[in-house]
Amino acid sequence: MTNKYVSKINRRDSLKWLGSLSSFVVVGGVVVACDTPQEPMPDVTGESNWPNLTFEPINAPGYGTDPDLLNPTTPWPKTLTEEQLNLVAHLSDIICPADDGGPSATDVGVPDVIDEWVSAPYPAQQSDRVLILNGLHWLDDEAGRRFGSIFIVASAPEQLQIIDDIAFETQKEVAEFEHAALFFDKLRTLVFGGYFTTPEGMADIGYMGNVPILGDYPGPTEEAMVHLNEVIANLPA
Amino acid sequence: MASYDGFEYDVLIVGSGAGGGMSAHILTEAGIKVLMLEAGRDYDPVEETPMFQMNHEAPLRGVPTPDKETFGYYDATVNGGWWVPGEPYTKAEGTEFLWWRSRMLGGRTNHFGRYVPRFNDRDFKPFSHDGLGVDWPLDYDEVQPWYDKCEKLVGVSGNNPGVYDVPDSGEGVLQPHAQPRVYELLVEEACKKLGLPIVPMRRAVLTRAIDTREACFNATDCGRGCSIGAAFQTTTSVIPWAKDTGNLKVLTDAMVREVHLNDEGKASGVTFVNKKTREDVRLDAAVVILAASACETARLMLNSKSERFPNGLANSSGQVGRNLMDSTGANFSGHVPALRGRPRYNEDGLSGNHLYIPWWDYEGQDNGSVKFKRGYHLEIGGGFGEPGMGVGGSADGYGASAKQMVRDNYGSNISLYLRGEMVVNENCFCEIDPDVKDEWGIPVLRFHWKWSDEEYNQVAHGLEWSKKIIEAMGGYVTTSGTTPEEALLPGGEIIHEVGTTRMGDDPTTSVTNKWGQCWDVDNLYIMDGGVFASNPHKNCTITILTLAMKNSTYLAEQLKGDA
Repeated sequence: MTNKYVSKINRRDSLKWLGSLSSFVVVGGVVVACDTPQEPMPDVTGESNWPNLTFEPINAPGYGTDPDLLNPTTPWPKTLTEEQLNLVAHLSDIICPADDGGPSATDVGVPDVIDEWVSAPYPAQQSDRVLILNGLHWLDDEAGRRFGSIFIVASAPEQLQIIDDIAFETQKEVAEFEHAALFFDKLRTLVFGGYFTTPEGMADIGYMGNVPILGDYPGPTEEAMVHLNEVIANLPA
Repeated sequence: MASYDGFEYDVLIVGSGAGGGMSAHILTEAGIKVLMLEAGRDYDPVEETPMFQMNHEAPLRGVPTPDKETFGYYDATVNGGWWVPGEPYTKAEGTEFLWWRSRMLGGRTNHFGRYVPRFNDRDFKPFSHDGLGVDWPLDYDEVQPWYDKCEKLVGVSGNNPGVYDVPDSGEGVLQPHAQPRVYELLVEEACKKLGLPIVPMRRAVLTRAIDTREACFNATDCGRGCSIGAAFQTTTSVIPWAKDTGNLKVLTDAMVREVHLNDEGKASGVTFVNKKTREDVRLDAAVVILAASACETARLMLNSKSERFPNGLANSSGQVGRNLMDSTGANFSGHVPALRGRPRYNEDGLSGNHLYIPWWDYEGQDNGSVKFKRGYHLEIGGGFGEPGMGVGGSADGYGASAKQMVRDNYGSNISLYLRGEMVVNENCFCEIDPDVKDEWGIPVLRFHWKWSDEEYNQVAHGLEWSKKIIEAMGGYVTTSGTTPEEALLPGGEIIHEVGTTRMGDDPTTSVTNKWGQCWDVDNLYIMDGGVFASNPHKNCTITILTLAMKNSTYLAEQLKGDA
């Protein structure tokens, strides 16, 4: 296995790519963001090996309050080191491997999305940056403690042993893994967000909109109505 | 006749949103020359709307940032949002309030939800029904033909469902409404079981072309604006029509600082800041119309002091800036397991609601079984929308199983958004901050806000019924804040602020008469949401448009009569 991530986008395109942690709901024809509130990080206690590193804030400019919406550009530079990007890429495919439904996260350039994300000058992304960079650091520390190596060169079963300790919601309750589990949750959200927003990811999930339909909106398909009627027939009394 | 840059005009309009745009249309059609001032930049939806751009093409996948707040990258808000660069507002201690502004031609009509429910007879006479607030100096019968005329002009899809909360539009006024989608049909089923009404949402979205405005092609969010004119905004309709008459001139980047009063007590013109040159320019006018938005108009009047009006122009009543109202808002989400993995199809439709739940329990309010006086409606969220960065937020674990969780979860959440009427109260108002000025040297607004038990009780009721609806679909609630105090969103957040220059029958308790004409200064008119005497739960834009149409027609008759 090669551990070198080769960016899937060229330099020009890379200036157009980015990511955030909000889902969109259409309300009144306008898109309303349901921002997931930034969870305050728990204090680091004796049981945690969370490195709790601090980082220089990103001072690059944002895109401003009147950007060109037809030709979006991203003015801030990416900041992940090669090692960090490789680890992000490796984790991205652990989280989102290729399967029958679609390609892997790295196949569609998700690590570039995460690099753009953690390099953005906005508060939410800067907060994510601290969590992600500490998390990457923690993975190497943890692999060192357990296996005497950095994470990416540990064996696949060794890597998954660590991942299994931090990848599940219930692990946020385990003091030793609380911070790392929050990190993994964030990374997973970014990876799936990055993946399912790509054309390949949209095809995978089955988003069929954003195409003009002339004439009246046709409504649900017959198949969709058959399913709905089954759901209705089985509603709670 | 006043003139500017070789253009002679009678009427000066401040603002190019719903009120200003409609007013310009009516007046220019009547042959009256109008100069319109807009504080923001020129804006053309035909050239600028990102109709098919997708999240992956935008910075940060289009998510909101401090530069493009709440609605995200593609939202049709220019140089605005909850803050406008260089143009702050302040809040009194303990006040939570948000004020959405944009700085562009067409104002907030470029991005609004295009939900256009009209008021009913009771909405115009709230005090007579429950003893709270004040009545409007208008009744429904007087406004009804104007609603018809306005809806016809704007282009509204919907129907007449025979529900009291949703008064009928006239014969032939409405265009066909769009078919409901699966998640809306499931909510409909839940409503049937619970005995709640659910009806097509009236939308200012064309399903049939009108002249050069095309019918909606069932794709892209209305909040981005609409380059084909299907979703109503003043920049693809009333403003270009008014320009076509040759009777309208528009100045953009023109931020009005003050309205002037002459020795006869008439409005004589304005001074605006040319934002490009940073110079002040003084204009004369025979008639001044303020339509800068409820709060911006109040600010302008409060900043226009004279010997005659030391507390602000046309403010002998002391009501300018008072009686500020927004809609109540509370968002409620649930997960419906039976919808997991459901068959895919295109659910874009008209991008917003096709169905919604209007207010149903007037009887309960009358007999006291409902513990609040004013109604609300529930909007419905859900469906197979374009995936955003939060699409994987509920997955757990990793690998193929987690990936499958995201797929299964897609389209299986349903949200209910309460939007309700607040009762006017003395604790909600705006005033001039004595210390803070914006970058143009114009004193800014300071907001005061406090909800009353009326609103908390209403939200408690809405939460209870939302839970019943979610559970009637076999779903469970996923929203965390379930007390009214947690759920009620801050004032201003629903962006329906009105009431700061209210109309009435009594010059001592209102700012304008029923024509939006200021009691104190008879050539000064207000055509925005400031004139609302109450704020029914029905989204305000169609009523702003309708009143501006009605009152500008009246004004045109007065001006023609003078000639």
